[in-house]
Amino acid sequence: MHDSLIQLLYGFGIALQPGNLMWCVFGVLVGNLIGVLPGMGPLSTISLLLPIVAVIAPVPGILMLAGIFYGSQYGGAIGAILLNLPSHPPHAVTCLDGYPLTLQGRGGAALGITMLASFFAASVGIVVMIFLSPLLVRAANSFGPADICAIMLLGLLAGATMSRGSPTKGVAMTLFGLLCGVIGTDAMRGTARYTLGIAELRDGVELGGLTMGLFGIADFLVSVNRTTVSPANARVRMRDMRPTRADLRQSFWPMLRGTGVGTLFGALPGTGPTITTFLAYALERKWTKTPERFGRGALEGVAAPEAASHSKTQVDFIPTMSLGIPGDAVMALILGALIMKGIQPGPQLVSEHPDIFWGLVASFWIGNVLLVILNVPLIGVWVRMLRVPYRILYPSALFFICVGVYSTRNNLFDVAITAAFGVIGAILLMLEFPLSPIVLGFVLGPPLEEKFRQATLLSRGDLSVFVTRPVAAAFVGASALLVLAQVVAWLRRRARA
Amino acid sequence: MDKWTKDHAGGALMLATGVAVVVAGLGYDVGTLREMGPGYFPVVLGALLALVGVALLASTRRAAPRPEATPQPPAELAHLAGPVLQWRGWLCIVGGVLAFVVLGEHGGLVPASFVSVFVAALGDRGNTWRAAAGLAAVMTVLGVVVFHYGLHLVLPLFAW
Repeated sequence: MHDSLIQLLYGFGIALQPGNLMWCVFGVLVGNLIGVLPGMGPLSTISLLLPIVAVIAPVPGILMLAGIFYGSQYGGAIGAILLNLPSHPPHAVTCLDGYPLTLQGRGGAALGITMLASFFAASVGIVVMIFLSPLLVRAANSFGPADICAIMLLGLLAGATMSRGSPTKGVAMTLFGLLCGVIGTDAMRGTARYTLGIAELRDGVELGGLTMGLFGIADFLVSVNRTTVSPANARVRMRDMRPTRADLRQSFWPMLRGTGVGTLFGALPGTGPTITTFLAYALERKWTKTPERFGRGALEGVAAPEAASHSKTQVDFIPTMSLGIPGDAVMALILGALIMKGIQPGPQLVSEHPDIFWGLVASFWIGNVLLVILNVPLIGVWVRMLRVPYRILYPSALFFICVGVYSTRNNLFDVAITAAFGVIGAILLMLEFPLSPIVLGFVLGPPLEEKFRQATLLSRGDLSVFVTRPVAAAFVGASALLVLAQVVAWLRRRARA
Repeated sequence: MDKWTKDHAGGALMLATGVAVVVAGLGYDVGTLREMGPGYFPVVLGALLALVGVALLASTRRAAPRPEATPQPPAELAHLAGPVLQWRGWLCIVGGVLAFVVLGEHGGLVPASFVSVFVAALGDRGNTWRAAAGLAAVMTVLGVVVFHYGLHLVLPLFAW
């Protein structure tokens, strides 16, 4: 524990270096700015700015991405509360009580409480991360390829089935993502796979192209001429944002419970942020003596899910950074950026790149403080941003996507790939398939294949390694339970019908 | 499109994709479990995808059409309304991106930026020719200043 504190101080030293701090500020600011815009969640915001990471050093790059992430997350809450517009699915539940509060002229208080809850929950998440990560790293050093495979399996399955909508469709999308990761040259034999004879595809599909197609272009395609954004009637001034004493008393325990839910679920790999926020909300409604107030502007209904989403976000970084196994699509994207910079995530990351790990931890706090400082004076600007009409927004974003994808590898072919994934994504969305499991599969695909091939090579083709090694067996067992639970739930639904 | 045809179409699409992946994957060296070839992993994934496709088709046919039992649409779509297929929007948005690819190769950054934004903007029924041209001009200037002079993008301003 003493060690961790010294390391943390070292991290602050890294994160406070002017060059790094500048990119962190930039990330938080831009993340917040873009996150407020309708239809732009953390995934699209991070994809949009991924090209910048390609040109700057790894440490500031990661600090910037993390900044974009929580900046856009907070921006999403603003859109949800003031406009009833969930640009990011986890915030859908915040709309339920946040928007009624805005209609009652209490939007400022809701935003203030959100800010407070986020900051508190993130702090708890950071502390958990500081103390849990070294433990996990120590355990992970003894993991063999079979164990890593089993952990990835659970992460993929949980990512596929725990989001909203049909779990079968989630599994289909995970498989689709894994297959997209296969495209390109086979790492072991050098065979070109599924390249359709196109030379550019031998290097594989570019992560930025895939995500900007799926979360940028596809979103434009399904949203064009269909967005029903009510004009913002919300006017929020700085002093409205200071919650009253009664507000604080009302939201203190929900904030704590939300943080608990978020921390617990963040530790489980693959449980998406959406399910976490919905659970936190449901818990509050169960807990309260006055459930009838929920949905009509209960502050608890804003505080709990926002706290849950932020503590989960922080705790999510634990498996991502210490095992190299991302919990959700956003983490997968951050991991992809690390790989892009030539840094192999995994248990060795903390010891080999302590500047990245501890700098990141410290930058969370700095970033969250920055968010509070920025949002108080800038709230008026954000509110005005919400009024940018879609017909101006999407062509501009499309332009940035084109230039951004091009600049990552200076390759126009990647831009064409983006268009292709845009069309694929839009078709899948129309058929009500969730898109984020694709990213998780895409990023985990190559390491999963590598570890799987290693594991079976070591065991001479004996699949029983996956059940005889204790760690692997535990994760395979958990995966089986997850599938079983889904099947049981499905059978029950059928029986009730 | 109602719920039924949607799930059927989705299942069929997954089945077809899975089968195609397996067929193509068998063309690479599959190998054995002990020593997997490049085709092993994709063939397994493709087979699983095809199975999931079958499962989607089968579960759809059996359940009765009750609105309350159908799962909610993904939250990403919650704020949208109106007919799904927007031909003009689709044509213009995909066309805008492709215009950037073609003109980037045979024209340079300036024409690629202008045409891509202009074409994409025309996809929204609320945009007039004039508004689209105005937006395209603004974005082009911004793009040249930020990306060409600021970030030194490799794409030349004009190239024939």
